[in-house]
Amino acid sequence: MSSFSRSAQQWATFGRSWFLIDARMQPPGKIATMCAIRLQGKHKPIYHALSDCGDHIVVMNTKQIAFSGNKWEQKVYSSHSGYPGGFKQLTAAQLHHKDPKAIVKLAVYGMLPKNLHRRTMMQRLHIFPDDELPEDIRANLTEELPQPREVPRTLSEYTQEEIDAFPRLWTPPENYKMK
Amino acid sequence: MVFLSLSSWIRSRGPDRYWKVQEIIKHAKHFRGRKNRCYTLAVKAVRRAFVYATKGRRLKKRNMRTLWISRIAAASREHGMKYPVLMHNLTKTSVQLNRRVISDLAITEPRSFLSLAKVARARQQEGFRAALGDGKEPAGIFSRVVLLQ
Repeated sequence: MSSFSRSAQQWATFGRSWFLIDARMQPPGKIATMCAIRLQGKHKPIYHALSDCGDHIVVMNTKQIAFSGNKWEQKVYSSHSGYPGGFKQLTAAQLHHKDPKAIVKLAVYGMLPKNLHRRTMMQRLHIFPDDELPEDIRANLTEELPQPREVPRTLSEYTQEEIDAFPRLWTPPENYKMK
Repeated sequence: MVFLSLSSWIRSRGPDRYWKVQEIIKHAKHFRGRKNRCYTLAVKAVRRAFVYATKGRRLKKRNMRTLWISRIAAASREHGMKYPVLMHNLTKTSVQLNRRVISDLAITEPRSFLSLAKVARARQQEGFRAALGDGKEPAGIFSRVVLLQ
């Protein structure tokens, strides 16, 4: 058994993998739960809160995340600088316009455990507003995670046959004037 | 070399108060600050430490169980199954392994864990079929409690 070494097994067990998530047309909360689980290492059977076994997560296309309902207008991100009159409130749309990475980042940050490891785990989260990744990060990627929501097709992506075959609730009469 | 019994050999062993203080200080040696050398501070800290230790003995059991559960949850997700589904179906098939053993299997014997997951999956499918009114047994796997006649 002298030739058998456990070190390779050790390296393989505690090696960090890099996951890629495409956030195009996805709800930020769903993306954030996927990130938070993997940043903590809670997807591994060897998980322990102190063993620092979290993985890297690359989130791309965060510019094109999709909120449901009227969250873009109604969801408010508040911050206080600590000085008098330093209370700032931005709606999700304003914040997203200011920084397209901020909404996903804040969602993940809020889902991680509130302890001293939180900043370390956040450093393993790499967010990109569009689908251009730097070469050094692209080289590390090991796995792409499936999107939690199916991306809906736009009308321009349907062929004319599909549009014609689509069931209609009401067919306009011949003399109907479209506004 | 530490002579622990040296003090008990000497005839006059010093005043009782000294030994009373040492009893407390002994438990405070690793504390931070003046708590590890001043008796007045050490008494209070040691008392608190013992209270925490008593509470911790209960908490340890609870925390270990949550750890095993999160580990089993992680391992069962790898096989596309949720934790409650796995545990529920394992109890239905009368697999009498506790969470500690299952989490150990998930770490050290992933293939044994996979077979457990397969058993649970088969039991789940059987339950679904029974609910739909089709009472067939799954092929090639023991997923039911064997009734000894």
